[in-house]
Order: sequence, then C-alpha cells, then structure tokens
Amino acid sequence: MKVASISSTAIDTKSKQDELEKGTSLWADAASRMKKKPVAVVSFWFVAFYLGLALLCALDLIFTSYSVVNNDIAYQAPTWAHWFGTDVFGRDVLARAAHGTVTSLTVGFFGAGIAMFIGTFFGAIGGYFGGKIDDLVVWLYTTVDTIPGILLVVSFSFVMGPSLKTVCLAIGLTAWVGHCRIIRGEYIKHRDQDYVQGAAALGAGHIRRIFLHILPNVFHLILINFSLGFVGAIKSEVILSFLGLGVEPGTPSWGVMINDAKQELFRGVWWGLAAATIFMFFLVLAVNLFNSELRDALDPKLKNK
Amino acid sequence: MFKTTKSIVQLVILTATCLVISACTNSCSQKTSSTDTTLHFPLASTIKGMDPIQSNSTYSSRVVSQIFTPLFEYHYLKRPYELVPQAAESMPEASADGLVHTIKIRKGMKFHNNDCFENGEGREVKASDFIYSWKRLADPDNRANGFWIFDGKIKGLNEWRDAKSKGEADYDTVIEGMKVLDDYTLQITLTKPYYQLYYTLAMEFTAVVPKEAVDKYGEEFLNNPVGSGPYVFTEWVRGSKITLDKNPTFFGQKYPSEGAEGDKEAGLLDDAGQDIPFNDKIIFYEVVESQPLWLNFMKGNYDVAGIPKDNFDAVVVEGELSDDMKGKGIQMSTYLQPDVTYIAFNMKDPILGKNDKLRKAIAMAYDSATSIDKFYNGRGVKAHSPIAPGIDAYDPEFKNPYVEFDQSKAKQMLKDAGFPDGKGAPVLEYATTSSSTARQMAEYFKQNMEAVGLKIQIASVSWPQLQAKIKDAKAQMWGIAWLADYPDAENFLQLLYGPNQAPGPNGANFNNKKFNKLYEQASALPPGEERTAVYQKMRDIFVEEMPWVPNVHRKGYSLRHGWIKNYKPHAIKANSLKYFKVDTGKRSELKAKL
Repeated sequence: MKVASISSTAIDTKSKQDELEKGTSLWADAASRMKKKPVAVVSFWFVAFYLGLALLCALDLIFTSYSVVNNDIAYQAPTWAHWFGTDVFGRDVLARAAHGTVTSLTVGFFGAGIAMFIGTFFGAIGGYFGGKIDDLVVWLYTTVDTIPGILLVVSFSFVMGPSLKTVCLAIGLTAWVGHCRIIRGEYIKHRDQDYVQGAAALGAGHIRRIFLHILPNVFHLILINFSLGFVGAIKSEVILSFLGLGVEPGTPSWGVMINDAKQELFRGVWWGLAAATIFMFFLVLAVNLFNSELRDALDPKLKNK
Repeated sequence: MFKTTKSIVQLVILTATCLVISACTNSCSQKTSSTDTTLHFPLASTIKGMDPIQSNSTYSSRVVSQIFTPLFEYHYLKRPYELVPQAAESMPEASADGLVHTIKIRKGMKFHNNDCFENGEGREVKASDFIYSWKRLADPDNRANGFWIFDGKIKGLNEWRDAKSKGEADYDTVIEGMKVLDDYTLQITLTKPYYQLYYTLAMEFTAVVPKEAVDKYGEEFLNNPVGSGPYVFTEWVRGSKITLDKNPTFFGQKYPSEGAEGDKEAGLLDDAGQDIPFNDKIIFYEVVESQPLWLNFMKGNYDVAGIPKDNFDAVVVEGELSDDMKGKGIQMSTYLQPDVTYIAFNMKDPILGKNDKLRKAIAMAYDSATSIDKFYNGRGVKAHSPIAPGIDAYDPEFKNPYVEFDQSKAKQMLKDAGFPDGKGAPVLEYATTSSSTARQMAEYFKQNMEAVGLKIQIASVSWPQLQAKIKDAKAQMWGIAWLADYPDAENFLQLLYGPNQAPGPNGANFNNKKFNKLYEQASALPPGEERTAVYQKMRDIFVEEMPWVPNVHRKGYSLRHGWIKNYKPHAIKANSLKYFKVDTGKRSELKAKL
C-alpha cells in the first residue's frame, strides 16, 4: 500500500468511482465482444431463425399441412409441391421436418432446463455446506453417473411410456450430473471468499448467501452448461424417438423420421432421412458454435485477448 | 396358448422377418465342392435351444423337427393337409366313444448314436419312451411351454402333475390315461373327446426323447439334443450356426409317391419311393437382420429366403418374379398362410365391451384394404372372420358386413352407438409395440379413427409389456396375429371361448354363452360337415358381436435357388427339409451366374 496524504486519497477515490460507473458488466462486456465475431453473429441468427420457425409452427401459422394424410401420394419423390417429397402416409416431409423443430426445441429447453435446475440445486447445497450433505450429493451423482447415460434415459422412458413430457423428464433427470459437479466445485471455491463472509457478517442466512450472493457469480457457467445440455437433449430426443421410446406416435420428430428411413432406404426413399438430418445438422451446428463463442466471451481470462 | 413367435406376433416382425424361410452362410462366401450336398438354411432369428418340449417358436421347431420325431406328421405333398404316421406305424385306432386311442409305433426305430448310451450306440425306441417324453412335457419342474396341448385332456395327467409338484409322484408313477400295452403299443385315454389330439401328436412338443440323454445332460439337454429323426445334432456356434449331419441309422422313410394336383407336372414326384433324407448335412444360420440374410441369399450362400418388405417391389413385378431373378434360376412359391391379424377389443372394458355398435363403427371406419397394400405389399387377403384359409370352415365367399370400409356408414353407426361425430366418446387407447412398422400401423389406425371423429391415444410398449397388459386385461385395443398350430378352426375359435379368458389365450375376454355352448358342442364332434356347420354358426356370432376387427390373412412368399429340388411350402409343419434335394450339377451352373 502506498503512503498518501489524506486529501489526495479523497480525490483518487472519486476518480476511481467515475471509472467504475463507466465500466461494463460481465454480460454487457460479453455481448459487445460477441458482436465483433462473425461466427457468433451468424450462429446467433441461425438459432434465432430456428426459434422463430418453431414458434410459427407451434402456433400453426406455417406448414399447416404437416398432418394432412393422403395415401394416394405416399412416398412421392421431391417435387415443387413437396420439396422434400412425401412420407408413408403421403404427408409433406418438409412440413414434418419443420414441425420437428418444435419437438426438438421443446425437449432442448425443458430437458436441459430440468437438468440445470437439479444440477445447480444439488451442486450448490453440496458445495456450500460440505460435510454430510456434500457426501450425500457426491454419492447421489456418482451413483447416477455409473449408469451409462443413454441406458438410463431409455429405462426412464420405458417406465413412463412415450410422450413429449416423458422425454423432457427422462433427459432432465439423467443429464444433470456433469453440471452438478462443476457447480459444486464453484461453490466450494466461493463459499469462503470475502464477499460471502461479508454477507454472513451482515446477517445473511444460508439461503440468502447461496442463492442471492454466490449464484449470480456462477450464473455464466449455468448458461454455458445449459446451451451444452440443450444440444445433448436434442440429440437424446432423436435417439429415443429412433428407438421408439420418444414422442407419442404421430408427433413430428426427426428421430421418428430417421427411424422410418431405416427401412425406406431400401426402396429408394431418401428424402425423409435427408430432411431430418439437414434440419438437425444446422441446428446442432449453430448451437454448438454459438456455445463455444459464448464460453470464450464469458471467460474473464480471455477478456483482453 | 400364446406362443412367442408362432402364435401371436407383433404384426410387424412377421412382415419383415417371419416370411423368411431360407438358407445359407455367414458373410463369408462359400466354397462348395461339386459333390457336397449340404443344405444352407437361414433362420430369421436366434433360437434358445433344441429341447422339443420348449420349441414354441417357428425357428426352434424348424431345427427340432429335423432331429426329433413325433408320432405323426403331415403328408408332404397332399393338400388340404393330411396326417400320416411318422414314428407311429399306422394311424391310431379309436374307441367308439372317442376316448381311448391305441397307437402302434414303428419297430426297429433307433435313437441317434450318442455317448449317453452304452457303447455310444443308440438303442431302439420303445412305447415307454413316448410316455416318458410326455411326462417330461407335463412335469411342472420343466416349465414346458407346450404343456397346454395336454392340459386337462388326458386322464390322470393333471393329477400326476400336481402330485409331482408336491413330491408325491415321479416318472415311475403310472398315469391312467397313458398306458404301455407292449413295447410297441401305447394307449391314451382322454377325459373328454378331443379331436385335435392327433394334431398335437404331430407337434414337436410330443416328440420322443431318450431318458439316458436327459439324465446325462440335465439342463444342458437343450444344447445337446438326442432324438431319432433324420438328422443328428453335431455343433452349435451360438448366435451363428447349427450343424446337423445325416442320421446313418434313420428308420428308412421313403419319399411320397402320391401328391396333390399338379405336383407331378411340377416334378415333385420325380423322387417317389426313394429313401430320405437326400442331403448329407444341414447348416442353419441364425441371421436376425433381414438385409444380410437377403444379400447372402442373392450370393447363393443360402438356399432359400423370404422377401423382405422393402425389397419386395424389386423382386416381384405384377405378382410374378422379376425377369432378373428368373434369369438367375431363382424360383418363387406363394401360399396363403393359415393365420389372421386383427385388432382386438377388451370386452371387459366398460366402454368398448358394452357397446357393440361402437366396435362395429370402428371396424367400418378401418380401411384394411389400404393397410394390406401399405404394410404387407398387398401380400394377403382381407379377413372377414377369425377362421383362416386352408382350414375346414373357411369360406372365401363369406362377407362380414362390418369390415367393409365405409366412412359414412361408420359415422351412422357411431351415432347409433351414442356418439354422433365422436362427441362424448372418451379417448381410446390402442396398445402397440415400438418397432417402426408397428408404430406406422398404429398411426394408420389413429388416422382412420380420427376421420370419423374418434380420438385415439397410442401406447407404445415393449412386446413383453404388451403381453402383460393383455394378460392382466388392462389393454383397451391392440393389434395382434395368430398363426395356426394345426389345420382346425378350433385353434382360432378357442381364442374367443369364454373359459379361455385372460390370462388364457382369449385376450379379448369375449364371453358369449351361445358361443361357448357351440364351442363345447363342436369339441365333441369328429371332423366333418356337422362340425363345420357349428364352426360357421360360431363365426356368425362373432360377426354380430365383433370382439375383433379381423384384418388380413397373410400370404407367404418364399424363394429358392434352382438347385433345390422337391420344394413345396408347408404352412404348418417345419420338418420338410428331409425331402429337399440339392442338385449339385445345377448348383455349379447357376452359382456361376450370381
């Protein structure tokens, strides 16, 4: 610490305060850095496009023909009327693939959301309290982790029967382990830091310290894990539907389309597979790229690079 | 009863795989010498073992029937199917009341040579061996899945079974209804007339096994089968292939010298009167996926094959084998299978069970003709009743008015049922398995129902879960199939007999007093016009009540290479391989073209 006169200290303090007011938050800073990266911008617009598409489909404003059956035109190759041909019941494949976005995004949001909620909760209390509670949390996630992920999801689906709700729950209830581990580590790191001690000294209870003080400081990790989990959930939905354990039959889903293609390919019907794969490819790629940019932007160590 | 692949069956698995009857090797391409008469036969599934009392799938009975011999078999060529003696010397003699049946068995028939016998030489088969084998079938410790054929039918057998489970009886205990009169004569006494008895004595379940082998191998008997059939078990590489060699001590059966109309012209009587089996060896291949099986057949590695659903259009053009296939010397046989696929209603369900108009409306709203094109490549005929083609009471002219697809009539019927345009009707659950084709079939059903205003919820479950649901009477509607065990309409009508309700084979829980009475009446009648008339009365009650929506009687398509002689499809029995003959000269010639 420098020795300084009383008066000069006052002036310094004031100028520092000015600086602070002009400074940017972690979030604003990340946003401004991301805007400068073309990959981030393009992937963001892709994700936004899918969100818009899903919303319009969910409100039944576009591709309304997705469930119109016409057995006379079953397995029609792509034409101007049906860009991606028709399926076994003569339904438009493009419309079904577009509506598949709704299923995928719903599962992505809720599946990853549930996983984040559970993972954050257990990670927070385990890491914060330590001791017996931590032992219990570690025991719980290690146990869940010893079972291969996809098998666990499949068994959940078997028990609960196929529906969109089941898929979200099955994914949510199994995909929280990795996230829980990270959050627990963060809480162990944060719980003894000065700002938490300070809050305790001011009379903040455990709940307040966990959720109002520490949580905002680890929130960027939740966001990153959420977007990672989002992609994982979409892929899991496709796998589950492929295995016949996914959404209820009749609901448009990319996994179901790929499952159908398994047999259809032998009769030369490739368009169902193509549509589902193209839709999934761009969504997963965009979310992954966006994700990677987001992680860089939120990493304080990369701030000045 | 419900037998895994044979009787029930997801509609699906059958479409893709069950039709497959073919032969050949693993992916390795085969070198066959010009004198090698090995038959290469693919099974479209893995099998659990080769114990006759457990052989309830079409695949395991295919193997079991080459190794073991039941008393009777079906004439290879004659149609309609006719029972002839196999291990028996002649057809049985029955008492006037139909209760006592005396059967003579062949003299000089020997078990396969095996280490379980003294000096490794198979001993002669005696009448007592049959009684031993049937006690094995009834022994509760064996949990044999074929016991249903004797359950409650033979005097004293069920009592023996109960006593055995309590430890109060053993294999030496004499059963009143199964007597040995001398070394070559046995007598069966029934509790009531049971005219299907002779058919059951042609099923693998009742084949003769040697006590020595069961004692030596114990639980491993299913992996070390010893019988008295035309082929001897040699080796089983699990999940891959099963090798059988010609039995040098086989009792000398001859190739039949009479056949059905057209058999002579087709060359099926060229080998009349010759000793069978013709081929030195059979190799069965366990191939689960339909595409590897198909590709191996096309390479000539397997001798026979079915046609996978998705290859169908390339193979069959306007009902004929394509020119490309013909050029390769491949031949095709088609035949109507004695089976029926149907949508069953649970008659115990408070909504469906009490409202026959609702059931009829559903039946009329279902377009089965389109479903046959879509899911079976048109391979089948529309079903109007449970009774399948090739069975005595089947009438191809019979029309069931409620399975004629007509949406406006269906809507009217729905109105009469109390649900105009489906208003007020609860969401109905249709249970199905989760394979692709089963799911598509369920979706198709749902679309058909929605078109008249009925809401359907599809419950996709696993095959065991579906069976459990039906057994517990918890399913509302489901799609399923039944393949005949023997050519008698009784085998289909028992699926609707009241006392057979779940957990028995009557999964629909149909219980109609008149129907039950007729069933009992028919079971006391010998085959003939009178019984057929009773069966047809039962069919008419079925139509009035509609506990099922009958869908399709499937058509079998089987392919074989030109070097397989004496091939005739048999829809009921699997033991026909001993009649096949590999023409080695033709094989070298045709294989060069593949």
